[in-house]
Amino acid sequence: RSFTSQTDGEARVTQVLREKFPRASAIKVVDISGGCGAMYEIHIESEDFREKRTVQQHQMVNQALSEEIKSMHGLRIFTSIPK
Amino acid sequence: MSGVVRTAWRLGAAAVRGRAGRHLSQAATGGAEGGGAEGGGGSGSREAVERLVREHPVVVFMKGSPAQPLCGFSNAVVQILRLHGVEDYRAHDVLQDPDLRQGIKNYSNWPTIPQVYLNGEFVGGCDILLQMHQNGDLVEELKKLGIRSALLDAEKDQDKK
Repeated sequence: RSFTSQTDGEARVTQVLREKFPRASAIKVVDISGGCGAMYEIHIESEDFREKRTVQQHQMVNQALSEEIKSMHGLRIFTSIPK
Repeated sequence: MSGVVRTAWRLGAAAVRGRAGRHLSQAATGGAEGGGAEGGGGSGSREAVERLVREHPVVVFMKGSPAQPLCGFSNAVVQILRLHGVEDYRAHDVLQDPDLRQGIKNYSNWPTIPQVYLNGEFVGGCDILLQMHQNGDLVEELKKLGIRSALLDAEKDQDKK
């Protein structure tokens, strides 16, 4: 899978995350539904997640993507804190 | 150790709609779904869900049943619990009850199934449970509930060698 190609959905979700998490040091969005935009895997590393429980971190991502999530069938979230 | 898998079936008033490609928005627009009760008193109401999550120390909302999960992520949750020797818990099949399916998402403010509740508290979905399993947090959380993870005994055997 080429690194340069990104689906429109991936680009849009990445953009929203960049806006809602300006402090994020790393954001990676992968369409794991074969390009259908149905399911995404999200990796995001940010200071915003420090001192928060995993479920709270994920809630923050859910909140940020509340509009986009409406048209998805599922998503996987992996949050982390910068070292 | 043979455990007893207890599943509580929630049969909604509406027949299960085998609609493929359901969106996470699950618009609770009253009659659109043709579902049974709306709002207060329905199986998806806050009170009803509250009662369900407090029913047992370990409550899981999933697709299908522990004996027959109907989704990979729900299956993952069942398998992880099984690894820890947790076979006695409450499992609710949201596919059987559209009101519950939407209600549980409203309750936890979490858009996806499965959902795992420990002692009435929402812990997360499949990814979080997997993380907890891998970093040892799950063993700790189970201990707090008075449940001894089967993996602790497995580890003991290993240390002996």
